[in-house]
Amino acid sequence: MSDLVWKSATELARAIAAREISPVEVVQAHLDRIAALDGKLKAYLTLTAEAALERAKAAEAAVMSGEPLGRLHGVPVGFKDLYWTKGVTTTGGSRILAGWVPDEDATAVSRLAAAGAIALGKLNMHEFAYGPEGLNPHYGNPWNPWDHNTHRICGGSSSGSGAAVAAGLCAGALGSDTGGSIRIPSALCGISGIKPTYGRVSRAGVLPLAWSLDHVGPMCRSAADCALMLGAMAGYDPRDPTTSVLPVPDYTGALTGQIKGLRVGVLRSFFLESTGMALRQAVEEAVKVLEGLGATAHEVNLETVGHAPAASHAVLAPEAFAYHEAWLKARPGDYGEDVRQRLRVGAFVSGAEYLKGQRARALIRGEVDGALAKADVLVCATTPIVATAVGQAEVTVEHEKLPVRASLIRFTRPFNLTGHPAASIPCGFTAAGLPVGLQIIGRPFDEATVLRVADAYQRATDWHARRPPVDQPRPAGPEGAAA
Amino acid sequence: MEPLTLDAIRALARSLGLDLTDEELAGLLPLVQTARAMMDALPSEALRDLEPASQYRIL
Repeated sequence: MSDLVWKSATELARAIAAREISPVEVVQAHLDRIAALDGKLKAYLTLTAEAALERAKAAEAAVMSGEPLGRLHGVPVGFKDLYWTKGVTTTGGSRILAGWVPDEDATAVSRLAAAGAIALGKLNMHEFAYGPEGLNPHYGNPWNPWDHNTHRICGGSSSGSGAAVAAGLCAGALGSDTGGSIRIPSALCGISGIKPTYGRVSRAGVLPLAWSLDHVGPMCRSAADCALMLGAMAGYDPRDPTTSVLPVPDYTGALTGQIKGLRVGVLRSFFLESTGMALRQAVEEAVKVLEGLGATAHEVNLETVGHAPAASHAVLAPEAFAYHEAWLKARPGDYGEDVRQRLRVGAFVSGAEYLKGQRARALIRGEVDGALAKADVLVCATTPIVATAVGQAEVTVEHEKLPVRASLIRFTRPFNLTGHPAASIPCGFTAAGLPVGLQIIGRPFDEATVLRVADAYQRATDWHARRPPVDQPRPAGPEGAAA
Repeated sequence: MEPLTLDAIRALARSLGLDLTDEELAGLLPLVQTARAMMDALPSEALRDLEPASQYRIL
């Protein structure tokens, strides 16, 4: 299969602008790969192949006629099926919205199109973004590309985005993150993703899960590509009044490779409990790499982060119920069982409890801000576990039986509550070949430093460059056997 | 905090306009109980002087 599918978005944009490759051959290579692999991977829900090829031809013509080109000119991308796409079915991974066709694009979608990106289609996800496993009972569960034999979760809710980027089915994707839904699939699929600061990227035209916790952001195979996509999407949007008027820095220009003197706060206690030894070791090694690049590290204990599960539930559950109330009452059977249950639980959160959660949120945010007064970034494992088998409800970590769902969001959801920017990048693999993610958290609106650290790490390591074994012949054995 | 009973959650659900069978209510009860206990355990003293982050803006 074509090697074009493994080129970074940054390299594709450069090579297209330099007339070394044609956007048509790039898009065709990706479509060919999707045709070959997506029957198993189930990353895509809707493919817009014809439109993509038409846009690719127009992009090629623009290059040949010397027109000014956007920073993502000709780069093929996918959109989580949570994003409105004009004229293209947008289901939210649900039966509720099956066949719905928006008549306008989400702001993030239109900004990427304006930058020259070419949409290949809509990506699979956990129904209405309400699940960290990334499963979908209506359209099929995406297959984690890192395990050829066992059907493992990709993580969610942006599971299709994670699988597609990891397997070379697009050069970059949009995800969304309310409790970890960009970072969890990034970690479990061995790719790079960033949840920007709350208000950095417009949520206009993105189906909400919880208005005050939803964040939108890019998922790519490198921090540099995330910087490129984020630069195209970020900024004030009058359609989303929560967006910030702060100017958008040059994220790509900030990737100097230099982190000498940078202070790294290594999160301990809560962020080590119930974490697999292989993941702890991978994070320790990652910190040593950062120190080798000139950063200094110190330990950080966050006392209030233990309140995150309660605060997150108090805020997320009623906000989600409020959005879904009418559908839930009229068409409960059209929801998957897990999402239906979670939405109903949200109905029972009182106003006083919601406000208590919002006050606890302010408490946690204050402590994280305090930690970031003494550190430039904080780091920890993105998740305490790696990808489990589909259907597995519990996982044993160092002799302790833990629920998979709660484990997946443990380290990510505090930073949805606080709104700080947080990225996940690969920092190693387990003995079984499953990726481990490193979470990097920064100060509000300091995505540039988060991405600079991530990029510096990726210049010194090659975890992010590894490819999943999807192209290898499948070993003999029963299909879908649990690990 | 008094534990919820099936009758209590049934009445609550009805007041919220949720039309649920007893089987569905029985499935929800432990989840709602756990959530209420979690939220009740948030530290009131530490939250005393904090305003809710309801107008959540990072400027």
